[in-house]
Amino acid sequence: MKMKKKQAWVLFLIMAIAAGLLLMGCGDQDKEAEGKTVIEMVQYKPEAVNVFAEFEKEFNETHDDIYLKIDSPNDAMAILKTRFIREDNPDIIGIGGDINYSNFLDAEMLMDISDFDGLADIKENYLQMNKDLEYVPQDGVYAVPYMANAAGILYNRDMFKKHGWKVPTTWDELIALCKQIESKGILPMYFGFKDSWTTLAPWNAIAVDLCEPDLTYQVNSGETKFSEHYAEVAEKEKELLAFAQKNPVAQGYNGACTAFARGESAMYVIGNYAIPQIRSVSPDMNIGSFVFPASNDAEKNILNSGNDLMFCVMDTCENKEAAYEVLSYMLSDESVSKYLADQSAVPCKEGDFPIVPELTEMSKYIENGLVADYQDHHYPSEMAVDALIQTYLLDNSANATEKFMKKFDTEWVRYNKDILAKVKAYEEGEASHE
Amino acid sequence: MNKKHTWSKNEKVFLGLLIPILILFFCFNTLPLIKGFYYGLTNFRGYGNYDFVGLRNFIEVFQDSRVGKSYLFTFKYAIVMTIAVNVISLILALGLNSKIRGKNALRGIYFVPNILGGLVVGYIFSFIFTYILPAIGEAAGISFLSNSILGSTTWAWVAIVIVGAWQGIAMNTIIYISGLQTVPEDVYEAGMLDGSTGWRKFKDITLPLIMPFITINLVLCMKNAMMVFDQIMALTKGGPSQSTESISYLIYNNGMSGGQFGFQSANAFIFFIVIVAISIFQTTILGKKEEQL
Amino acid sequence: MSKATINEGAVGGRTANRIINILLVIGCLTVAFPLYMTVIIAFKKPSEMTNDVAGALGFPSSWSFSNFAEAMEVTDFWHSLGNSLLLTGATVIICVILHSLAGYLIGRKMARIKAFKAFYLYLISGMFVPFAVLMMPLVKQTAEIGIANRFGVIVLYVVFFMPMNVMLYSGYLSNIPTALDEASHVDGAGVWQTFWKIIFPNMKPMHATVAVLTAMSTWNDVMTPLVIMSGTDENTLPLAQLNFQTQFGTNYNLAFASYLLALLPILIFYVICQKQIINGVVNGAVK
Repeated sequence: MKMKKKQAWVLFLIMAIAAGLLLMGCGDQDKEAEGKTVIEMVQYKPEAVNVFAEFEKEFNETHDDIYLKIDSPNDAMAILKTRFIREDNPDIIGIGGDINYSNFLDAEMLMDISDFDGLADIKENYLQMNKDLEYVPQDGVYAVPYMANAAGILYNRDMFKKHGWKVPTTWDELIALCKQIESKGILPMYFGFKDSWTTLAPWNAIAVDLCEPDLTYQVNSGETKFSEHYAEVAEKEKELLAFAQKNPVAQGYNGACTAFARGESAMYVIGNYAIPQIRSVSPDMNIGSFVFPASNDAEKNILNSGNDLMFCVMDTCENKEAAYEVLSYMLSDESVSKYLADQSAVPCKEGDFPIVPELTEMSKYIENGLVADYQDHHYPSEMAVDALIQTYLLDNSANATEKFMKKFDTEWVRYNKDILAKVKAYEEGEASHE
Repeated sequence: MNKKHTWSKNEKVFLGLLIPILILFFCFNTLPLIKGFYYGLTNFRGYGNYDFVGLRNFIEVFQDSRVGKSYLFTFKYAIVMTIAVNVISLILALGLNSKIRGKNALRGIYFVPNILGGLVVGYIFSFIFTYILPAIGEAAGISFLSNSILGSTTWAWVAIVIVGAWQGIAMNTIIYISGLQTVPEDVYEAGMLDGSTGWRKFKDITLPLIMPFITINLVLCMKNAMMVFDQIMALTKGGPSQSTESISYLIYNNGMSGGQFGFQSANAFIFFIVIVAISIFQTTILGKKEEQL
Repeated sequence: MSKATINEGAVGGRTANRIINILLVIGCLTVAFPLYMTVIIAFKKPSEMTNDVAGALGFPSSWSFSNFAEAMEVTDFWHSLGNSLLLTGATVIICVILHSLAGYLIGRKMARIKAFKAFYLYLISGMFVPFAVLMMPLVKQTAEIGIANRFGVIVLYVVFFMPMNVMLYSGYLSNIPTALDEASHVDGAGVWQTFWKIIFPNMKPMHATVAVLTAMSTWNDVMTPLVIMSGTDENTLPLAQLNFQTQFGTNYNLAFASYLLALLPILIFYVICQKQIINGVVNGAVK
């Protein structure tokens, strides 16, 4: 009896392992890749997982010598950095034009791709945005901008039409509009601040109207302080809370998208990247968008647009030609159009791509280049500015803004210590050369 | 036996078999600990090249408000958790140890939360906190409940305590039950003759006898609570406003994906020292208490 | 219940016991409710989820398994289950053999030889080292020697559980008389044979405890596979829930079907081996 019990245990464990091995055997992709050059891409936009799956399929059907493998993981930046720590680099990374790019570039992890033909078709101002992200100026090009986003305010076109509301062009008009909407018993805005990153959407959209685009550079070289510029941005974002649901941190990004999609609010301060998510809830919604009017001078209000998705080839990539082939495929007019249709984005490639219907109100800005990059693309991620803003928005004390600004300035110095030193060393080096 | 031990053949074989195991342990336990200290001396981002910055990181750990907040949160969580879990599970154990129907079935059911994974349980409770409780609050007109407590900087940590306790109580209850079963019945009978009943009986007879089990449970519960990670990953991801970042979560989040590999290595090393200090403190204090009783 | 006046517990009286009984049954609801909710939501369609309590907690209009089929597809269920089984099974087998050996080697000699006592204390001190402390260097290290994969995760588990298990085994050793070793030695058996033929079978009760504790910790662990294997397409069951959160989006029905699938294997295992599991946990804690 006792012996039996023990045998049962051993048998159970062996069965577990056997079952494990058996189950893992199924679903192997390796066969397809046999004898081909494998290019592995990790891209960071999980909402675009479907269109990238299509790209992967189509690319592999049309190429006999290259096998493309695309990963679109959840929380991709964390996974990507974990892989970098493990030195298990993919060949191509699809990332945003933000501080991560600056860091990867600074760590000399990216390949200079200035000899890639496709660069000639990319709009100049998006290439320039990447130059601005370099801590110290570098030679060469390290990323192909693919898609830009446009952040401002999304609105429910049908609802606006029904009540005869007009798109505002100045801050005062926006506030008046909110009051008007409220008087009809409709919630003007909805926020998903439980996901702290969404606090940056209004923040960036307001900041591009009120601050200089090279503000961080000015701060890093000691010319000014953030507190002199951001106080107004902070206060204006806080003012919006009065026009949103009672507890702005009760819902996350998904929840806010769902609420807006169900017509619970007339507007939603977020970027175009939220459109697919909203469509997944109500596919036929008539969504419009306009530039955030943070200034009372309508001329000063410009579109908040940055590199939302760009491709970098890793320095460790062994098959540069194959990687370029993948990039060329991604940049073909067909692929770009396919992406645009799926994700309602703004292409970085020159060409006759129609502006997606949701963004028609912004076309004037896109075509004339009245755009400025996100301020948060320069913030170090470990400083967690989004959480600082979230804390500030929930802080109801009288000197909240003052406290927040003071904190912003001190934290900035602390988290950018190494960068500040680098910039200083570079500038001194430049000076001594002259 | 003299000080110098002469090794017999048999003992040499023992040593020979043991050494590979010790080497394995050294390579994946002690070595990474030393390496962690080494990384703590650098400004390493986890990738690319890095410089030595001396003890800067170790000093800054004490100045960093985010690290400070995560320590406060972790301690607050661990202490509240330990007290709540132990009080509830002791009561539960007393109940489950009395003469009741379906005792075994009830014990079996109460143990279920312990076998489930913290992450999935966290996701399930996340739904309860975000949708069910506010809906109940709305229907019953309780304004406190009608907002999700996960969205509140003052209350989100309570949600994590609730989930942690839901799982922790199961474990501690079972241990208390086995403790109560070691209390012999004749001890009670003797107590009955003295006329002690209810609370007095519990305090004077039961409590001293199960003291070792209380020690075990306090230590176990505290230890688990200090490591809290899965629940935070599932419920709040450290938010809102970084109010629920545990030390483990901060090390993972900023060290692995935030580019603070060096700095968080320093933080981790200090965390290790804190854990050692707490463990020594606990064993000495509780050890003494046990002797007194 | 003939001796109703003399009570087993600390609180007395027959009516009191009735009340306790009722309270405990009601208390079970706190355990049952989240599980009930999981099952109910997993079977519903997204359109049945309304914003009130009834919408979330009422019975589904029809019990359909389509959510489960979709969840299996989305989270690559069988593959993840396979990984979980493999990691847990291999870890348990290695732990039981290796740690009982270590426990034997140390436990038999530490009373007389100082070096072994020192080894014992060295191994036990590993209990003070939380995984979070070792995480970052371990990620680097496993990658450097090329075991940032399932094998590496198993190695890490074996080392991580070593302090606890060695303590349990060497503590249990006092129940096995040294006369057995000596008899075996006289018969001409070496140290390994003595261990494998005599000691290992005699440690059986402790094997059950170690196996249960190790298996439960391994099965439910998220952090180790998260940092060691993320981005390699290899998931364990809990890790899959984390990695596929975005794919679930706002479709809670799909998500809950997936959660339920992730919980089922251990629940089934618990129903079958409830006694061993509870005994194992208690033994592990009390010893």
